[in-house]
Amino acid sequence: MLQNRRMIFRSVKRALLLLTVGISPLWVGSAHAALGGDSASVLADGAELHGVVNSVISQQYDIQEITADTGMRVREYVNRDGVVFAVSWAGPAPPDLQRLLGAHYMEYTTALAALRHPGLQRSVRVASPELIVESGGHLRAYAGRAFLPALVPAGVSAADLL
Amino acid sequence: MHSIIKIGTILAVTSMVACKGGNGSLGIGVTPSPTLNTVALTVDSGPMSATGAINHAYVTVKVCAPGKTQCANIDHVLLDTGSVGLRLVRSVLTAGAVTLSAQMDAQGRAIEECLSLVGGQTWGPVALADVTLAGEVAAKLPVQIMDDTAVGAPPPATCGANGTLINAVSGFDANGVLGVGVFAQDCGSACVSPAAPLPIYYGCTTAGVCTAENAVLAVQVANPVAMFTADNNGIVVNLPNLQNANGDATVQGELIFGIATQTDNALPATGLTVLGTDASGDFTATYNGGTAALPALIDSGTDAYAFNDPTIPVCPAATSGIFGGYYCPTVAPQSVFAVNTGVGANNASNRVDFAIADPHTFVATAAAFTGLAGGGGSTRFTWGMPFFYGRKVYVGIEQRVAGTYTGPYFAY
Repeated sequence: MLQNRRMIFRSVKRALLLLTVGISPLWVGSAHAALGGDSASVLADGAELHGVVNSVISQQYDIQEITADTGMRVREYVNRDGVVFAVSWAGPAPPDLQRLLGAHYMEYTTALAALRHPGLQRSVRVASPELIVESGGHLRAYAGRAFLPALVPAGVSAADLL
Repeated sequence: MHSIIKIGTILAVTSMVACKGGNGSLGIGVTPSPTLNTVALTVDSGPMSATGAINHAYVTVKVCAPGKTQCANIDHVLLDTGSVGLRLVRSVLTAGAVTLSAQMDAQGRAIEECLSLVGGQTWGPVALADVTLAGEVAAKLPVQIMDDTAVGAPPPATCGANGTLINAVSGFDANGVLGVGVFAQDCGSACVSPAAPLPIYYGCTTAGVCTAENAVLAVQVANPVAMFTADNNGIVVNLPNLQNANGDATVQGELIFGIATQTDNALPATGLTVLGTDASGDFTATYNGGTAALPALIDSGTDAYAFNDPTIPVCPAATSGIFGGYYCPTVAPQSVFAVNTGVGANNASNRVDFAIADPHTFVATAAAFTGLAGGGGSTRFTWGMPFFYGRKVYVGIEQRVAGTYTGPYFAY
């Protein structure tokens, strides 16, 4: 998927990226709220997952990809205003959605509670004008994404956000 | 139904042999009969305390404290080919007067589990139980107790935050979940060794402080079938076709243990599609001629065919009652299809045609519907309960051999 787009790919260890961007680790430790937050929150998420952060830069947005030795992978999509407008995930366990969805987590859980059968489902979709969350999978293989339609750069389709 | 009659015949023959000997009990001892490997599988509206279930297939499970006579027959345990492990609601165990103790880790902390079901999480201790289904016994089986009464340690902040905890009978329309998927343990190697443990297994102090930790395979919540002493290479789910297009009140079928181990679970000589799965337990499906190979599952725990087709209207919640969010085709029934392809050695490919019904035509008092579909936005393809009606579905456990096939696989 990534190879299909014209992107510059650079891979840096989290510590190196911290150095490059010039953020002190202490400050990173207190950052949170990825979706709708700024790119600094990505680094905090990387630390939380004990993962390595890679950056993929395309014309309209950057992807910060966190991978961990557990097999967890989180991508956070940052628009040109520096705002995380989408997140996606895949791995043997779901990520901490409270952390990834940030201020939008309550909206997500309220919508979930309204579903008739919250029990055994392998996929759920929560959609409002402000927030779309698609989550699916089962033990050993979870995947999903969430995005803020209003902040998605023009010309970028939902299918690009995987 | 056919096989149920067959079992009846086997039993009748056994007793006839017994009678020949002139003494029933002696005769049975002289002629060893195969282990009874079949339990009734019933689709109905659910347990007394949570009716209204749709396309839920239930079995009754006998659960005992290990080595004890303290046992309960727990009815309405949901059959789930899409997960692994037996999970029981704590208040149901309590009502049955069965007390199970949590396993302890090396530090003497209680082992608990947070299992994500996409729509929420279950939380509770991992305890040992002797579990009996028909004549098959899984002794000292690690099971999860879903802690609806919150007597154990509270879940960590990342598990079930903001009301997404699903531990009660009402959350499942079931007293428990019988996960009989393609693996022997629920998490497997991913929970055994990573430097930073996955947020699945936890060690909890008596003060109720829980920390994520790794869990060896022997500790993990396990597939009861894999732990049987016989007929332990998989299962066969056998449900008849529905009688009415607008829904049946109940459906009677059977859950058979073992594949190609007895006469009642033999593999057919021809016409069988065997779909090997990847390390996650998925084969692939392409929907309606599309190009995307979606991860796919044959899943009795899902009530509908679940996939994304943005061209099919979704039933509006305001006018569709409980079917709000499912698909409501403009012209029903709408015919669609998907092509399943196995992964690895069992790489069969098979097209399955099916029809999506308009849920508005369903009878309100029915519990079983064919043609129910939904799942907009999903990047997966799930063959839920409607797929099982009128089929025998085989679920082969990882590394176990049945005939010429080695698990993990789904077959039909």
